[in-house]
Amino acid sequence: MSFEVHNGLKFHVQELGAGPPVLMLHGLLVGSMASWYFTAAPAVAKAHRVRLYDLRGHGRSERATTGYDVPTMGSDLASIANAFSPEPFALVGHSYGASTALHYALKNPGRVSKLVLVDAPLPASRLEELEAFLGRTPEAMAESLPGALQDALARKGRQATRFVEGLRFLATETSLFADLRRADDIPDEVLATLKCPVLCVYGTQSSCRPVGERLARVVPNARLVLLEGGHFLPVEAPVALGDCITEFLDG
Amino acid sequence: MTTMNHTPESVLTAVATLVREVIGEDWAQDLEITMATSFSDDLELESIEFVTLAERLKVAFDNRVDFAGWLASMDLQEIIGLKVGTLVEYVVRCLSKSTTA
Repeated sequence: MSFEVHNGLKFHVQELGAGPPVLMLHGLLVGSMASWYFTAAPAVAKAHRVRLYDLRGHGRSERATTGYDVPTMGSDLASIANAFSPEPFALVGHSYGASTALHYALKNPGRVSKLVLVDAPLPASRLEELEAFLGRTPEAMAESLPGALQDALARKGRQATRFVEGLRFLATETSLFADLRRADDIPDEVLATLKCPVLCVYGTQSSCRPVGERLARVVPNARLVLLEGGHFLPVEAPVALGDCITEFLDG
Repeated sequence: MTTMNHTPESVLTAVATLVREVIGEDWAQDLEITMATSFSDDLELESIEFVTLAERLKVAFDNRVDFAGWLASMDLQEIIGLKVGTLVEYVVRCLSKSTTA
């Protein structure tokens, strides 16, 4: 069973392992559940039941043309979480997936037992690098990605064609960029209402790092761990990130 | 699929069929897939297609093949250079372990 309908859209869902429930969300544009599936998720799945899904418009989930704003993505998450676990569960997100996870945890206190935010931007739209990224063509976006992905793209074969087509769809046929630009900041006093333990993992070289420092300062039960790397930590530091997450979940 | 007689040849045939299904495009149906075929260079499999392949492997071999866990133990260069034969040998190892256990 790998497809479920939520909010009227078909979502690609996979589960790994057995144990207490953990839901993991990937980042936008270049991400899919594969960002976790072959990196940190197997380590977490050794002692947990891990559910992964492709965000709307990504991977094998339905190509929605609208609804890329945090509240709508948060309601996708709510529906998928309800199908996954009636009990409180641990929630892990990377990048915009982390922004969505944070939004959900604030709206649904009591549902999230522990929260892991990996390089969450806050708000997504105020990051200068993201603004610059959003202004590029899909081909130019691809050029700013980590090395291994670029090698595949340089060959201009099937992988590259499909990857650029995915970016082109999101960039030109959906409301994604407009939705991102509208993303709001979350005031410190709202962040301070978060009760569950929160682990913030940020890349030492990431432009999002100040957000991690801010979260660790204003969220009562949060701590910050810095890993060597930039924004794409699941790919850049999969083992260290997996260790960090499992230690936090089991601690 | 039975638990007996999993030779590299029979596993290669099974894996090749799964790979063709995952790609799901006409060009792949007549494609020769050998032990030396590279997932990245020759087949140009996308990462999300690897997820589907992992799921198909689990089903085809009764949950005895942990493709995700195996890939997670490799670095990125190893994954990029991965050959069908390396996967076939891993599957054969998994199956021989679970039949003798």
